[in-house]
Amino acid sequence: MSPSDLLKLSGIAIVVIGLAFRLRPTLVVVTAAIVTGVVSGLPLFTHAGKTGIVDMLGKGFADNRLMTLFILTLPAIGMAERYGLQEQSAVWIRRIHAATAGRLSALYQLFRVIVGALGLRLGGHASFVRPLILPMAIGAAEAQGGKVSERSIEEIKAAAAASENYGNFYGQNLAPVQAGILLVYGVMQGLGYSVSLWDLVMYTVPVVAASLVLGFIQFSLLDRGIRRGSKVTQ
Amino acid sequence: MMSAIFSLETIYILTGLVLLIFSILTFCDRTNPHRHASAVFWLILGGIFGLGGVLPYWLTGLLVLALVALDGAGRVSRGQEQIDKAAQHRQAQRLRNRIFAPVLTVPLVTIAFAIGFRAVGADASRGALVGLGFGGVAAMIVALNVTGGTWRALMHAGNQLNETMGTVNILPQLLAALGVIFTAAGVGDVIARLIQQILPGNSLFLLILANCVGMMLFTIVMGNSFAAFPVIASGVLVPLIIRPFGVNPAMAAIITLTAGSSGTLMTPMAANFNIVPAALLDLRDRYGVIKFQLPFAIVIWSFHVILLWLLAR
Repeated sequence: MSPSDLLKLSGIAIVVIGLAFRLRPTLVVVTAAIVTGVVSGLPLFTHAGKTGIVDMLGKGFADNRLMTLFILTLPAIGMAERYGLQEQSAVWIRRIHAATAGRLSALYQLFRVIVGALGLRLGGHASFVRPLILPMAIGAAEAQGGKVSERSIEEIKAAAAASENYGNFYGQNLAPVQAGILLVYGVMQGLGYSVSLWDLVMYTVPVVAASLVLGFIQFSLLDRGIRRGSKVTQ
Repeated sequence: MMSAIFSLETIYILTGLVLLIFSILTFCDRTNPHRHASAVFWLILGGIFGLGGVLPYWLTGLLVLALVALDGAGRVSRGQEQIDKAAQHRQAQRLRNRIFAPVLTVPLVTIAFAIGFRAVGADASRGALVGLGFGGVAAMIVALNVTGGTWRALMHAGNQLNETMGTVNILPQLLAALGVIFTAAGVGDVIARLIQQILPGNSLFLLILANCVGMMLFTIVMGNSFAAFPVIASGVLVPLIIRPFGVNPAMAAIITLTAGSSGTLMTPMAANFNIVPAALLDLRDRYGVIKFQLPFAIVIWSFHVILLWLLAR
């Protein structure tokens, strides 16, 4: 491995360090692109048959406009939010009848997977978990066994936050037009592989299924912990 | 004629027009501290969308640099949102479930286009993308009908949502462009050779393990699996797994992406998902959410390794 080869990795170092230090992501990524191109001996602009860095930046950005098509959906979503989209969603979430905090978290994870599969951006720690899921979960735990230990409350909070993440991260890939799927589609195309959006969705199904099963198991263990905790305090 | 209307280019032009309207609204918004620079940002992005198919690449590249310069200088800001909670409540009471009609229009039209494209022998992936665009437009019309609001209010709501999401909207596109430059510079080959030096022999299982470890580690450090994916895909997945072993690229790629999600579940770098919620829910331990997610993340990551290996063999 020659030194000039290792120098080519400087772009990766820039991305890693830049994002780790929370610098502005757009600036970090473009700096990494330019530095990588320059140390690899590419010209800034196309010259003498060599494609330039700025040209590639423009081509890469223009070819991947499909990743940002969701902007067309923002007016309708924004309008629906003004007319009570969140509020009416909350009505549906309140209808979830779960006997325990763990089951509630599992059901909320399932709800987030369904929302993701529809390609919707509905949910979030601030809009759903804090005002709805957490009080419902603590209510369920209290109804179940009287006084809930402080340790259990902490666990219930963490579980509620986790159920949002579990459902969101894995469920969103079930819709062919969500960001993660489109990123994979575009990057693979750039590497010479035309994959089908539908194949990407299909192969994510086992992962989503595993995430739901694992979530269910973990949330059931939480319920067991809550029951034990309340026996100790009684 | 039909194929020209129902093409990605049409959708890009429509997106460009919406961004142009956003730009005008931002320009007129006196509550926005940097309304001029912000308006220029969305105008340039709209220009790239509408004209990206005909502009020379070097010019698009310069426009991208302008976007990043504006954002890097902190000149892209948002206006103050005025939300009338009482009015929102009244509207919610009035509309009830009808408010879901506009947002459900998008997936319905997306699927309809994908099926339609397939029926006439066209690419169903393209159909889904074109459908997403037309779905957005159809949803606007449904939203106007359901709420009885005006076009102006519709675009205003869209602009506020767009400003709230902000400049990170263009990050996936920038990461894809970074991937293009990495490929041209041969970055992927260097990583691939490094890994081959560390892992002697040609064990598919060890390569898959390296692929998933790399994806998780990069995500942990950067806090973002989207940033890790182009690096791992060009350096490990394609040169060492997909190409030599003839592995299904769609399968391997999407499983690699979510192997990175395990990293997201473990890292304080993904503050929005792990640290902010801990504060929001008043956890005493700010790492409480990560600690809870850790066993889940490790188990599902191992599942990814095994699944990828079984499907690749």
